[in-house]
Amino acid sequence: MSAAEGAARPPASRFALDRSARIWLGVLGVIVLWGLGSWIYQVAQGLIVTGMRDEVLWGLYITTFAFFIGLSAGGLIMASGAEVFGARSLRPLSRIGVLSAASCVFVAGLQIIPDLGRPDRVLNLFLHPNWSSPLIWDIIIITVYFVFAVVDLMLMTRRSGTPGARARAIRIAAYIGLPAAVLLHSITAWIFGLQFARPFWNTALMAPLFVTSAILSGTALIALVALAAQRFGNLSLPEATWSVVRKLIATTLAIDLFLVAADYITILWGNVPRDRAVLDMILPGGSWQWLFWLEWLVGGLVPFLLLVAPRERRPWHLGLAGVLVLVGVYAFRIELVVGGLLKPILWFPPGVALGSTNVYSGSFQLTGSYHPTWVEYSIVAGLVAFLALLLTLGYVWLRSLGEAEEPA
Amino acid sequence: MAEEGKKQLAMVIDQERCIGCWTCAVGCTQINNEPLGFWWNRILTTAPNELSGSENSDLLQGPASENIDVPSGTFPQLEMAYLPVACQHCQDAPCLKVCPVGATFQRDDGSILIDYERCIGCRYCIAACPYGVRDFNWGEREWAPDFTVGYGRDWRVDDGRLVFTPERPVGVVEKCTFCVERVDVGEQPFCVEVCPTGARIFGDLDDPTSQVAELVKEDGATQLLGELGTDPHVFYLPVEHERKLS
Repeated sequence: MSAAEGAARPPASRFALDRSARIWLGVLGVIVLWGLGSWIYQVAQGLIVTGMRDEVLWGLYITTFAFFIGLSAGGLIMASGAEVFGARSLRPLSRIGVLSAASCVFVAGLQIIPDLGRPDRVLNLFLHPNWSSPLIWDIIIITVYFVFAVVDLMLMTRRSGTPGARARAIRIAAYIGLPAAVLLHSITAWIFGLQFARPFWNTALMAPLFVTSAILSGTALIALVALAAQRFGNLSLPEATWSVVRKLIATTLAIDLFLVAADYITILWGNVPRDRAVLDMILPGGSWQWLFWLEWLVGGLVPFLLLVAPRERRPWHLGLAGVLVLVGVYAFRIELVVGGLLKPILWFPPGVALGSTNVYSGSFQLTGSYHPTWVEYSIVAGLVAFLALLLTLGYVWLRSLGEAEEPA
Repeated sequence: MAEEGKKQLAMVIDQERCIGCWTCAVGCTQINNEPLGFWWNRILTTAPNELSGSENSDLLQGPASENIDVPSGTFPQLEMAYLPVACQHCQDAPCLKVCPVGATFQRDDGSILIDYERCIGCRYCIAACPYGVRDFNWGEREWAPDFTVGYGRDWRVDDGRLVFTPERPVGVVEKCTFCVERVDVGEQPFCVEVCPTGARIFGDLDDPTSQVAELVKEDGATQLLGELGTDPHVFYLPVEHERKLS
């Protein structure tokens, strides 16, 4: 490090947090501890304290896992898009993007742990891997993706080497990052999409759908983080950058809903009852129709109009659209994970044995039902808070390094 | 390739004989000490011969009723049959393919077993099974009576893998074992033994003189959801008599 660069380093005081930031971090810390405590309680009691049973055997944990994986996309897409597609106006978001990619994929990996019945045996995943299992592929790509994102972040923040060498390393990383991101989301999709026992999951559209919804939700998250950094931090982005972000979200939202619609139409036109069983519960009039409205109206039409319609752009348009997009994508994850489990192929009375019994519901269930418990909400809230904590601290750290320099 | 002298365990269930009495299911819970709410073996109420979803069948249309023992059709054109379903011990088992740690494995005799000491409790196998025959130990279990019944010892196969234990550990998946601890000492699975109508036949599919081989090869026993290609080791003989009231 040259003396000139050393002198240009920001003073240590830039690490200092004002009072509101300390309160924010304190609140997040309390939620994280609450989630951790809930998980310890769950480990002691077993997964019986969740709302999951043998019919709807995956719930909020796997839903949120898929959601976190999706969120991690935005970052590398931003960073890589700036390099690979030459979208220079995205460059100011590169470092926040990669920070969010690393944080989200790390929290996604953590989110698998509370879903396991035997977290004490988690090392079996590495000691006895079964290579035909999409879950093993996913563990590998999650690990690779996380390591890659951390290395990429180090490349973007290091100060050694010539600017030219630094720019080249970042550029090479971008060319690796883009296919890695596509692979991560495809493999996560294949956990579900390859299962012919669940007709609602078993579509070749699953991987493209996951990649698209990942770019959608990931970009929305970056937009929210950048808006927060502009409001509470010292980030200042040109209108050109915001414009690209808005267009990226609006376009991927349209593609995402197009893919979902293509899936719906294939099922509806084919009219095979086994395939329609789940969809009929989600479409208007079904018992899970709130998912449809969240996905298409609240998280679809409204944010799309907020992004493309107003003549005068205001930050809250993008902020609200970003939040609604995240709501819509989360609804899609619930629809997928829980919805796909609601009707077994062998749909005959008395149904599936539940693995527990109570005087009201008995031992069997014909059509699945699922109500998350406070333990599930607490653990998920703890991990969301942990993600917010990582993003906040990461941003403060990046800010302490000073503005991102423009690579030559 | 099948080795010389290798066994392929198989079960044939005669739907013509099954009277839906649940003796096999209850017997199964007893011999295997299954907790309340666990059923390795269930008796589904269906229309006759609903083994495949490839036709315009109730298997695709959904059940006639939410309750068991309710026939489908419009009076007097009513018909009903029973479909006992436990683990189908598939040759190409989706549960085995998805298990990330190889806890679900296939023995040389074709049976699919779970290593209770390896399972991490991710439940991916339950999601992958088309037959809905796997139960997860969610937490503290209840038994009635509250003492161990049935075959009360651990059973290990293939280099000491624990495939049966009277009280399975919390947080692992369990299912029908083809009564491995009985079959290995020359007995029949308990459901076969207790069936009051002799609707279940068990034996070695690779032995051409065995009854199961004959029923499968000559009498046209077929597989449940055969179109999925899982190639189960459990076969069903069709209902032959019309069971209409008219």
